[in-house]
Amino acid sequence: MAYLDNREFIKALDAAGELVTIEQEVDWDLEAGAIVRKVCEEKGPSPLMNKIKDYPGHRYLGAPLANYRKLALSMGMDADSSIPQIAEEYLKRTSSPPIKPVLLPKEEAPCKENILMGEDADLFLLPGPMVHEGDGGRYLATWHFVVTKDPDNGDVNWGMYRQMVYDRKTMTGPLLPFSDGGKVFHGKYKPRGEAMPFATVIGPDPLSAIAASAPSPIPETEFTGMLMQQPVSLVKCETVDLEVPAYAEIIIEGEILPDVSLEEGPFGEYTGYRTSPRDLRAVYRIKAITHRNNPITTISNMGIPTDEGQLLRSFSLGLEMEKLLRSQGIPVTGVYMLPESTHHLVVVGVKAIYTNIATQIAQTVFGSKLGPWFHMVMVVDDKTDIYNVDEVIHALSTRCHPINGIHIYQGVGTPLYPFLSAAERIKSVGPKVLFDCTFPLDWDPLNELPSLVSFKNVYPKEIQEKVLNNWEKYGFKS
Amino acid sequence: MFHYDVFVEKLNNLPEGEEVQLAVRDLSPGIHKYCYSNVKALVSPDAEKYENKLQVRFGRGQTHSNPYSIKILEQVERIPERWR
Repeated sequence: MAYLDNREFIKALDAAGELVTIEQEVDWDLEAGAIVRKVCEEKGPSPLMNKIKDYPGHRYLGAPLANYRKLALSMGMDADSSIPQIAEEYLKRTSSPPIKPVLLPKEEAPCKENILMGEDADLFLLPGPMVHEGDGGRYLATWHFVVTKDPDNGDVNWGMYRQMVYDRKTMTGPLLPFSDGGKVFHGKYKPRGEAMPFATVIGPDPLSAIAASAPSPIPETEFTGMLMQQPVSLVKCETVDLEVPAYAEIIIEGEILPDVSLEEGPFGEYTGYRTSPRDLRAVYRIKAITHRNNPITTISNMGIPTDEGQLLRSFSLGLEMEKLLRSQGIPVTGVYMLPESTHHLVVVGVKAIYTNIATQIAQTVFGSKLGPWFHMVMVVDDKTDIYNVDEVIHALSTRCHPINGIHIYQGVGTPLYPFLSAAERIKSVGPKVLFDCTFPLDWDPLNELPSLVSFKNVYPKEIQEKVLNNWEKYGFKS
Repeated sequence: MFHYDVFVEKLNNLPEGEEVQLAVRDLSPGIHKYCYSNVKALVSPDAEKYENKLQVRFGRGQTHSNPYSIKILEQVERIPERWR
């Protein structure tokens, strides 16, 4: 049974030892952000902060999904599930038939317990944290999603686009042209001079948030249902023609203006740096705020690994790439993006049955819709455990020929790559690299191909079994 | 204590004694701290010249070591009327 809301998920985190409840007052001005940052760097339990300075009745939940144990819990699995187990369950659910959402009446939606309209809708009544010293403003929306709709075909998009509080009625934030929401805004609303309705969902249930960050072509409203294995409950907004999760903590409704931009940033980004400088960005003008009683604002603090953005994007991007490669008939054993690489490095295991299979893999994924989000592909053979960092580093260091095995391409990137020059960032260029860590197929297996020296490879089966069966008797712990 | 701060690309963006248009943040304590205002103002690298102290920041949040001062002349509205 899926968690209807963040509050049920918080109980599960607590039961699994993945929650610390802080009762002393915490300052929204840097202290809360610093707590969450330290938790991310130590891969620690999520902090639930029950008292926020200046904001009686409000609470924070930080780092809600910043490690694999929390991801497993969000899916109703055992916290100690392995990454392949979580991946298998994720793939199973997201390959099942889509599940359409259900619409609740307003009186049954907890997110409508408090409704602030017109002059009463003031963004500073919400405890937007100053997440990092030197940020461009208070980032109210860091673990959230923005709901928008295509004006022509009615397709709804949920996207995680950060939002900074500018003044009491205005937020600003990047709406990149190649993002799903950005394509509709820049391609349709802006040229028509029309404002794009939006609704920001803060403190969503964990699976809605995962759906919003997953790069799937399936509508997020249905994708969430697939993850939950039941329909997600939505409710109509007050002032815009959109629907939002009924059990979310806070909803902010308004319009994205077509003919004005205001400053936003800088902000700590998923790469672990402040890369993109302050710039003129999309303007979100608000009309209403609705929220639950004692609302919980979720904080994701982007910086050096690992935060939930890095973990979930790595996880879901890797699995979408696996589906793509399998759909092309490429015999992959698995695809894994290391969260520590801030979803820039993809490791693909493959049974190399023809020459240049690694090149085919790289060109397929770099050229896909997922391509702008990463720039390094590493292809290893089917005997390498892609989830084992030691084996992956060993493969890179010993099997990738520095001249024949490294291939460079030009592609599409994001302006957030730290290694790009300022001019390259403006154009969103994305240089890419393939590390082919497979030995050439035409090497003589008897006289040229190196033999891997490992426990599994150079000992007869009966010796391996004998050692394993006697392991604890020798005095070792299993 | 600073009353406002502002982000600039370079210090040339803050010429002394000339009217400039800036997006400044109010640093007064309370729930409205960091609220932006768009203003026309006079600024100076002499922290005592005008009544309000101004913290200067650069593009990635770095603080300038020398405090400035600012005199706000008027508010500027950048959101077109039809959206207000």
